[in-house]
Amino acid sequence: MTDYGHDLLFGTFTTPAAQPVRHAVDLAVLADRAGLDLVTFQDHPYQPRFHDTWTLLSYVAARTERVHLSGNVLNLPLRQPAVLARAAASLDLLSGGRFELGIGAGAFWEAIEAMGGRRLAPGQAITALDEAIRVIREVWAADRPGGVRVDGDFYRVEGAKRGPAPAHHVNVWIGAYKPRMLRLTGRVGDGWLPSLQYLPGGPADLTAMNAQIDEAAAAAGREPARIRRLLNVAGRFAPTGRALLDGPPEQWAEDLAGLALEHGVSAFILATDDPAAIEVFAAEVAPATRELVAEERARTAA
Amino acid sequence: MTANYGHRLEFGTLVTPVATSPATPVALARRSEELGYDLVAFRDDPDQPAHLDIWTLLAWVAGRTERIHLAASVRSVPLRSPAVLARSAASLDLLSGGRLELALGVGDAPEAVEAMGGPRLDPHQAVESVGEALDVIRDMLDTDRQDALRYSGAHHRLAGAERGPLPAHHIPFWLDGDDGRLLRLVGTKADGWLATLDRTGPDGLRAGNKIIDEAAREAGRDPAEIRRLVTISGVFADTRRGFLDGPPAAWVEDLLPLVVEDGVGTLVVATDDTGTMERFAREVVPALREAVDRALPAPLPRTVGRSAAVRAKRRPGIAYDEVPASLADTAVEPGDVAYARVRSNYLRGGAPGLVLRPRTPAEVADALAFARAHRHLPLGVRSGGHGISGRSTNDGGIVIDVGALNEIEVLDRATRRVRIGPGARWMDVAAALHPYGWALTSGDYGGVGVGGLATAGGVGWMARKHGLTIDHLRAVEMVLADGTRVRASETENPDLFWAVRGAGANFGVVTAFEFEVDEVGAVGWAQFALDASDPVGLLTRWGAAVEAAPRDLTSAIIMGPPRMGQPRVAQVMAMVDSDDPETVVRQLQPLADVAPGYDQQVVLTSYASVMANATDGPHHGQGEPITRSGFVDHITPDFAEAAARLLASGVVYFFHIRSVGGAVNDVPPGAMAWSHRGANFHVTAFGRHRGRLDALWDELLGTHQRGLYLSFETDPRPERLRDAFPPATLDRLRALKSRYDPDRLFHDNFAITPDTASRTTP
Ligand SMILES: Cc1cc2nc3c(=O)[nH]c(=O)nc-3n(C[C@H](O)[C@H](O)[C@H](O)COP(=O)(O)OP(=O)(O)OC[C@H]3O[C@@H](n4cnc5c(N)ncnc54)[C@H](O)[C@@H]3O)c2cc1C
Repeated sequence: MTDYGHDLLFGTFTTPAAQPVRHAVDLAVLADRAGLDLVTFQDHPYQPRFHDTWTLLSYVAARTERVHLSGNVLNLPLRQPAVLARAAASLDLLSGGRFELGIGAGAFWEAIEAMGGRRLAPGQAITALDEAIRVIREVWAADRPGGVRVDGDFYRVEGAKRGPAPAHHVNVWIGAYKPRMLRLTGRVGDGWLPSLQYLPGGPADLTAMNAQIDEAAAAAGREPARIRRLLNVAGRFAPTGRALLDGPPEQWAEDLAGLALEHGVSAFILATDDPAAIEVFAAEVAPATRELVAEERARTAA
Repeated sequence: MTANYGHRLEFGTLVTPVATSPATPVALARRSEELGYDLVAFRDDPDQPAHLDIWTLLAWVAGRTERIHLAASVRSVPLRSPAVLARSAASLDLLSGGRLELALGVGDAPEAVEAMGGPRLDPHQAVESVGEALDVIRDMLDTDRQDALRYSGAHHRLAGAERGPLPAHHIPFWLDGDDGRLLRLVGTKADGWLATLDRTGPDGLRAGNKIIDEAAREAGRDPAEIRRLVTISGVFADTRRGFLDGPPAAWVEDLLPLVVEDGVGTLVVATDDTGTMERFAREVVPALREAVDRALPAPLPRTVGRSAAVRAKRRPGIAYDEVPASLADTAVEPGDVAYARVRSNYLRGGAPGLVLRPRTPAEVADALAFARAHRHLPLGVRSGGHGISGRSTNDGGIVIDVGALNEIEVLDRATRRVRIGPGARWMDVAAALHPYGWALTSGDYGGVGVGGLATAGGVGWMARKHGLTIDHLRAVEMVLADGTRVRASETENPDLFWAVRGAGANFGVVTAFEFEVDEVGAVGWAQFALDASDPVGLLTRWGAAVEAAPRDLTSAIIMGPPRMGQPRVAQVMAMVDSDDPETVVRQLQPLADVAPGYDQQVVLTSYASVMANATDGPHHGQGEPITRSGFVDHITPDFAEAAARLLASGVVYFFHIRSVGGAVNDVPPGAMAWSHRGANFHVTAFGRHRGRLDALWDELLGTHQRGLYLSFETDPRPERLRDAFPPATLDRLRALKSRYDPDRLFHDNFAITPDTASRTTP
């Protein structure tokens, strides 16, 4: 039982399809109106059937009012970190502090290479991500003296001017599954962003993975509870319950409350392209889950 | 000396992307739009941490503006992947509705690029890198080519990237700077040159134009293809104090030579001062336009002529240079970039000689006038491009595409009256009505357009509960063959209103439909995969279950040919118009029981969600199906037997029965041109071989069917018209045809011959 005590967030993970052109925009606007907290898009720049995720996030930010936005997760190998840092700060400034940086080390190296990116071995990609996060946070630290200097193996920044600073503390959420990535998340991340469907053992896998993050955080002198645990989930709404996240909204709320209380997940990001599912998630699942979790937290606190 | 390149004179603003007050550049961009500027531009500077990332800013501004074009001058090319930039450009162009213009350039501070982690490049290499990036971006967006993109330059390398997406319009690519090597690149491959007047100076402008023109000619291009853009800055004062420093009249004097002598086509005012923006827009622009018109007595051609390469692809028999002025901007011909997007339909490839894309009913009338002057050519009328007969595109003819007329507007909440343009798609309609708790039964596919379906019938997911789409039609606005714009309803031109509901394509181009829609809440939506090893039993049991079901339920069944070694499976889909889960499950149960099931999915969802099922963008014409259509009253064992034989023949690859009946049959048969009231099912078969499908269908199903739905019929034999319309209906339609389209301008879609006896000469 781990509950890191964060407020719960609910969000969407919709396909950034380039056709119909406004598909992702319309669903994001719906999520915003419905009262969800987060709108996220995957980032596969080698995939021409998708919009460029950065452009889409920026456009969607301009069309929404309250919702926070993030890549889920951004593809570092095809996005230059110093440019990304300035772009992220810009989007945070324009949106009044609504941007969060979900980022990953990259996969599909063949496709990355086809686009002119460089192929890295998995271990190298993790080192590169570590370096990139340093670059990005240094660029954001506009009030520190001197230029940005990061002399990494993969990213070398030699005296770039700092800034702009984002409008709020932009959280760095890392898409991680394997031990080294989990350790990196514990050491430098503000959050951990995996997908439930990629956990071979289902929610049970979260226990050991959380423990690895917690250990790495403690070893780096950080409070493990600082690291928010987010989770991409998928399922369906059906009149009768059949399995985890396959049933009526009340059952979803129980399932998600379980994940929150037992595995410390405090952000649920629903993978869907169905407006009706987004509405049900926002109007029924989110409030009921919040209520269940609040009750249980009050009970254990008492 | 004049070097006028014949471009329309345009005006823009260049705004500083300050990060310290991010709302300011956004407000200035919006002000530029309000003031009527054609474009707002941002230029990046990697050495400037107090600036916003211009790409992010531009995308944000796209979301906060409607009309103004958006230009980015990216001068940090070595820090960006050109392949990603290409995708970003296409996305921004798509999201903004075709408003992007993109400049590439070499920054002033190469050491800043290096400090950020970019490569160290000398000035020569920097230009070379920009030229390569332009090649890569162009090639990435060339979706006419199917092969993966390989590029091996000194600075950029691609190892087989997928091309696309196709942008919304031809994104003009400019180069920004005045380096001689860069100018030669402008001449050989760019669409425009962006210069900074303060820096280049008038002499530099002239010298630059010369380099560009020479390079263009050497490359076999017409220098007029290249737009010349300059950024200018100045101050307004009561008396002239210097160049662009004085009253508006002095500005006009200073700018006139740039336009008439140096061929500048776009003047971009670099300013962050709204006062300057306003005075320039209100006092300089109109006066300068007038002065230019006076100085260049021959009126400027409205748009630059198409390049020689584009003109070479023109088809015979079309007066391309006489396209009405109102349509010239949006017309597409075979050599244009946009052609790939508009040539084909969803199911059929086409190669029209000219696609006209009117945006207003008046423009539709202009397009029809042009079509009347080209009677020797096929004419297609297109809304959503999902016509199955494929008559909305053609080979070498004219297509009038009313896709831009796609507004959806609520006219009256109390009576649930909505007005919908023909270019809207049914998924858009469903999504727009959903927030009101309303829906309009349409067809089963969200990508289908309103224009084709709502002139033909509309057999959809709530047919048994709410009838056909056209049963909800209360009025139409249309343009007739002679260009007259009319309204038709029960009280205005009632004959025409009668004809439009089922035979609309014969009578004109509908520019707006007014419907009375239904209150529809959540719906049950089921998909079953059922064992079809006994097709005859399955079909008859399914038919009986549907007929016995309450009207809330509408269903369809899809079957394919038997495949060796595979179990036969039928897909059954059903919608139940009820928000009560128990009612939904109770009504679906008999359907689920008609055969053992492999899989089932039942969800409580919205009509809008079910309709949000189309992911198609521009059409590429896939399938080229050959189809037949017919109505049957009941799925009798005889009919099911015949259907099973048709499927076993292997001639049919897709067999689809939709339920009608219920509310569809409440309407009297003569109430409108669509006459097939009384049947309970509509049957379609898709095949690949005309002769074989027709022979089998005629033999096996011909005896069972009565009537057909022309939306699903592709048999060109004239007797199909008599199946589509019973004798009395056909007689009335022929009489009306002689009144509304005596010369058969609309002759491609189940053409009705005018009744010569009642033909009236005006
Ligand atoms: C995948 C798919 C599923 C379908 N499902 C259904 C269904 O469930 N129920 C159903 O009823 N139909 C269905 N249809 C058939 C559909 O209704 C017709 O093909 C319809 O014509 C498509 O309309 P459109 O505007 O997209 O087509 P277009 O190709 O643009 O137009 C088709 C024809 O309609 C005429 N037309 C178009 N616009 C106008 C206008 N503004 N004024 C006058 N005439 C015009 C023209 O003659 C044109 O050739 C389906 C078609 C497809 C491809």
